[in-house]
Amino acid sequence: MSSIALKSFTGLRQSTPEPSHFNVPLPLARHQRFKVSASKSSPKLTNRNLRVAVIGGGPAGGCAAEMLAKNGIETFLIERKIDNCKPCGGAIPLCMVGEFDLPLDIIDRKVTKMKMISPSNVAVDIGQTLKPHEYIGMVRREVLDAYLRERAEKNGAMVINGLFLKMDLPKNQEQPYVLHFTEYDGKKGGLGEKKTLEVDAVIGADGANSKVAKSINAGDYDYAIAFQERVRIPDEKMVYYENLAEMYVGDDVSPDFYGWVFPKCDHVAVGTGTVTHKGDIKKFQLATRNRAKDKILGGKIIRVEAHPIPEHPRPRRLSDRVALVGDAAGYVTKCSGEGIYFAAKSGRMCAEAIVQGSENGTRMIDEGDMRNYLEKWDKTYWPTYKVLDVLQKVFYRSNPAREAFVEMCADEYVQKMTFDSYLYKKVVPGNPLQDLKLAVNTIGSLVRANALRNEMEKLRV
Amino acid sequence: MACIAISASLQRACCSSHHVTNKQNPQTKPARSLGTKQVSHVVTLYVDGQRSCNVLEQNDKSSSHMAAPKDAADGDELKRGLETESSLLKFIDDRWKNGTWDLNMFVKDGNMHWDGVIVAEARRRKFLEIYPASATNEEPVLFRSSIIPWWAWFMRSYLPEAELINGRAAMVGFFMAYIVDAFTGLDVIGQTGNLICKAGVFVTITCVILFRKKEDFQNLKNLTDKTTLYDKQWQSSSYQQQNASKASAKDT
Repeated sequence: MSSIALKSFTGLRQSTPEPSHFNVPLPLARHQRFKVSASKSSPKLTNRNLRVAVIGGGPAGGCAAEMLAKNGIETFLIERKIDNCKPCGGAIPLCMVGEFDLPLDIIDRKVTKMKMISPSNVAVDIGQTLKPHEYIGMVRREVLDAYLRERAEKNGAMVINGLFLKMDLPKNQEQPYVLHFTEYDGKKGGLGEKKTLEVDAVIGADGANSKVAKSINAGDYDYAIAFQERVRIPDEKMVYYENLAEMYVGDDVSPDFYGWVFPKCDHVAVGTGTVTHKGDIKKFQLATRNRAKDKILGGKIIRVEAHPIPEHPRPRRLSDRVALVGDAAGYVTKCSGEGIYFAAKSGRMCAEAIVQGSENGTRMIDEGDMRNYLEKWDKTYWPTYKVLDVLQKVFYRSNPAREAFVEMCADEYVQKMTFDSYLYKKVVPGNPLQDLKLAVNTIGSLVRANALRNEMEKLRV
Repeated sequence: MACIAISASLQRACCSSHHVTNKQNPQTKPARSLGTKQVSHVVTLYVDGQRSCNVLEQNDKSSSHMAAPKDAADGDELKRGLETESSLLKFIDDRWKNGTWDLNMFVKDGNMHWDGVIVAEARRRKFLEIYPASATNEEPVLFRSSIIPWWAWFMRSYLPEAELINGRAAMVGFFMAYIVDAFTGLDVIGQTGNLICKAGVFVTITCVILFRKKEDFQNLKNLTDKTTLYDKQWQSSSYQQQNASKASAKDT
């Protein structure tokens, strides 16, 4: 049984008989109807199409480049580490598979059960409310990124293996941006070749340490540090994690986030994150490992990763014809720390804004076109970000609050709402009566947990 | 360090009826001092426990466990970290059975003694905070604090400033009644039947409870700052954009 469940992942991807569907054109009709005429005044380009450079080949860059290339814009995608495995939880919501038309074989595991474990080791199963076809996809970033890049290339984007260095800003509206980068060719070995590239617009999708952001003076954001170890555990232990992810909460694991055990293709990822106590991350990691100890006993660490996670958007997300998307802009949610979907979505949204503004690459664009993307983004996702921020502030504050949080998650209504909003990224209006009941129960849980905390303080003597 | 050790041994002597096993491996100094502190801590827990007879099991490896966390980067370290699993202290109480409190053992004179459950659970949580235990599938924690009835919590809730708050509310109420009477001619009995006055009493009591001390004002301010921080972080990004757009509009 276990041998069936745990297929070996020898190749990069599991093979699947399902045909890939690259060339399905996405319905753009709706956007064309709402065409914004902000750049009608801007000059028409002669003899060439609009040139756009996308810096960074992650989900954001890949999706942006695909959308641009598909709509007749000359697209350059610059990525240095083509085969890089990024430190990332790798969870994607169900709606991403449909919206971005991902083949099912890039999903290593379908998580249908989640376990939340409170500081006093109360474990709550979440996910009983999931319907048979619903799951959280677990991907490896190297696979997902490569797939999205390939698809962009197939649509006509030019993928350059290069390291972006800096760019010269133009003096006026007509002049191009001049990008400086080092191109690495497989044959030439280590040393790269310095090159420049002239483009009309730039999309910065180069992650938390974005050089594009630096060159447009976008300012900094607070960041959390995430630490993750990939642990190969014995097969009999892996059976337990086949379609189950675990979340540990508690002061020992992280003072303001959670520790996790996520199943990957043939191993598990054990990690934790924090904003406030970055220096203690190793201690928290050890605590996480400790809490999961029985289940990962005998495991061997095959990779250790650490990465900054943005806490909020940069003070400036666009300047003139340069826009930031994904982690470079700071689109990671609080509480769940989710970023892949938002990165891909923001990349696509930004590209759509450019396509619209340039009328499929025939006109020059200006900042007004780029700002359409920001406005749309904020309008669509600001409530999601705010709700998750409030949740984090209320429930990750202290151990009693975490106990209450776990207790709350045992409620089926909560699970249904959480998964609906996570999987489909839509805020579904709830049942007011149930909401009220939930509020009362939550306050009850908080009061109980805090009363116990007071008792604990009395014990200190 | 020596004095800690002495106090610990003293306390241990006081409560000789409680059984404490403590085998420690004096390997590294800092680890040992930590270990000693733990013991003294736990002993104080027993002193105020009335009838609990917890047993602590501490393995030889505890000191190495304390020292191990520093840097665990490669596979060998993990193995070491994982091997120390037996070193952790385990919460043991004879009333804690199969992941829940045996409520039958809390019955006193035929009545359920909920206070005992609350204290016991508080002690367990405190123990877990000091020595986080690993969550196992074999022994899931089944106890939920929601089985304790609400009145048991109320009985235990205690407001240290109750006297002060009562006094303050009474004073405010008395003088407000006086002033309202003086200005509107509505007497105290009439005020009790008046909707506005009732609402006023309600608001007063809420305020008195919310603002007990001077620090409460500061706390409230901090709270609002915290809740609006994220909005500000987002707003700053759109605000700067607007400024930039205005500037560019002027240019063109």
